Amino acid sequence: MSEQAKVVHLFQRQEHLAPVNVPLQTAYDIEQFLYAEAELLDAWQFHDWLALMAPDVHYWAPVRVNRLAREMDREMYPPGTAAHFDENLQMLGERVNRLHTNMAWSETPPSRTRHLISNVRAHTTEPDNEFDVQSSFHVYRTSSERHQDSVIGRRFDRLRRADSVYGFQIVSRTVVFDMATLLVKNLSLFY
Amino acid sequence: MDVSQWIDPDRGLIRGEIFHSQEVYAQELEQVFARSWIFLAHDAMLPQPGDFIQNYIGEDPVLVVRQPDGTVKAFLNQCRHRGMRLCRADTGNARNFMCSFHGWNYGLDGRVINIPHGEEIYNAEDREQFRATEVRLANYKGFIFGTWDTTAPEFEEYLGDFAWYFDAYIDRYEGGLEIVGLHKWVLPANWKFNAEQPTSDMYHGEVSHASAFQVMMPTPVDANSPPPDWAMSQLGQLASPAGFQFVSPYGHGTGWFAGGMPVMNETIYRWQEATKDQVAARLGPQRVTAHGHANIFPNFMMLSNYTFRVTHPRGPNEMEIWAWSMAPVAAPAEVKEAIRLDLLRTFSPAGMFEQDDAVNWEEEQRILRGYMARKVPLIYKQMLGRARYDADGLPGRTVPHVYAEEGARGMYRHYIDIMSGAPWPDLARLKQRREDDERSATAAPAKPDSFAA
Ligand code: FES
Ligand SMILES: [Fe+2]
Repeated sequence: MSEQAKVVHLFQRQEHLAPVNVPLQTAYDIEQFLYAEAELLDAWQFHDWLALMAPDVHYWAPVRVNRLAREMDREMYPPGTAAHFDENLQMLGERVNRLHTNMAWSETPPSRTRHLISNVRAHTTEPDNEFDVQSSFHVYRTSSERHQDSVIGRRFDRLRRADSVYGFQIVSRTVVFDMATLLVKNLSLFY
Repeated sequence: MDVSQWIDPDRGLIRGEIFHSQEVYAQELEQVFARSWIFLAHDAMLPQPGDFIQNYIGEDPVLVVRQPDGTVKAFLNQCRHRGMRLCRADTGNARNFMCSFHGWNYGLDGRVINIPHGEEIYNAEDREQFRATEVRLANYKGFIFGTWDTTAPEFEEYLGDFAWYFDAYIDRYEGGLEIVGLHKWVLPANWKFNAEQPTSDMYHGEVSHASAFQVMMPTPVDANSPPPDWAMSQLGQLASPAGFQFVSPYGHGTGWFAGGMPVMNETIYRWQEATKDQVAARLGPQRVTAHGHANIFPNFMMLSNYTFRVTHPRGPNEMEIWAWSMAPVAAPAEVKEAIRLDLLRTFSPAGMFEQDDAVNWEEEQRILRGYMARKVPLIYKQMLGRARYDADGLPGRTVPHVYAEEGARGMYRHYIDIMSGAPWPDLARLKQRREDDERSATAAPAKPDSFAA
């Protein structure tokens, strides 16, 4: 499989179209974790949000491009090329720290956001304390006097059970925005 | 519209009307975008025959296509029949382009090669006249520019002295540049804000980008020690901003720090240090550092960190930014990767520098809805009266400070020229006369108070 085909495969995650196979309680726990995470982001609790990340987290959002139908397997920019985010824990930490400098003008005054998370589907993996979780998001943002925008897309997370109040940590997240040309002025927050 | 009623480049005063007016905007599409050289593609974006990318000249979509013989052609991405967009993909490979309305089929060169039922329903006309509208192209070291205007000066003449500066961005290393990626996004502001900034405004960095500098500069090993020496030396550039700005009679501009653009990534820093002599041997010592930010009028911007972008106008209140990341082919893999990551984290829509520019421009644009906000002139007076020619080994008209507005004044001087609708040959003569006058005037000793209005 070509690198690009791999990304599309990841994006489509064909295996995830299979019936959900985690126990009801696990599915519930995972959903509650994602909602709590959304709550942290909307409340500007970014340091607490950062604490949900595994030490070796990879937070990645490839860019996509409009392709002819017969070239759809090349719609996503492959790993190592154009991305909106391609972050490890330290890099994410820099972004979080920046938002708290009081000079991050893109978020001064801070935006109000609402992370709406839906279509959550979880699957078991090897090892059995980790789960592949797919979800959709709609992040609605208002800022300044009358700015408003929406960013909508899908996420593919690898979650690991963790001994904390939140119950899980995020091992990796791939964010796929629905827009090719971003119809928003910036992506100054997290998805 | 006579835009000179709002712009006084000699006194450095500009009224906001030019960023706001719908009428000015319509005139820009006609006089600026349809008559200037616009960046369309880089050779590396079209490696194979049949490879195409879609780009724009102003609001007009253009298909740029690699031909079977290896040359490149470009044409308006519009079917001649009823004006449908011919190709709706951003990029790809094709053997021909079939219009999805009535099925006219165009070859890679824009010629109509098949019309359904054509023999029955059209007279035996010369099909050449149905050809897609062709763009005049120029290829400068792999960078392909196009214009609709057959009377526009040759591209090299249009670049003029700026070619020397352009090379410092694109020709530092043997082998040129490769394409790493592309970001596209939309900002609620006039396209000229993103044009005048790289032409001129390094001044905003220390305030607009203070938060990004803070968090991206390397952190010390422990909390009590300062950042490493190399990082301090980079921050030092910002603290005492010596440098230069160049301005072209055709509206191009560039500015740079005397010690080179501050770098925040150690891998990139070490590589640039290690290859300094190589660049100096290739381009001469000045161009090791004459490398900050620049704009080729109207809308092709470049930064020393290998971002290259066009800013497409989308009405007076909106622009669409297309930003390509490139990397020197000659750079080692780990440096290319460092450049890629550094760029996406600084100057993409999620980039920590770029995000803040967006908000400045949005607020500037919004306030222009007011009457007084458009009436009160904005102040473009930095380093006014300090221009000189061919000084310090720098070709053309420069001022000796990186924080200056000479570039912006020059951009708007050309903007008035071209918006007047005067034919290109007249403009070329006007510019020559102006330069001759200025050269003789600036041969006299510089005026002591350069900031007087
Ligand atoms: S509009 Fe293209 S074939 Fe009719
Ligand atoms: Fe900026």
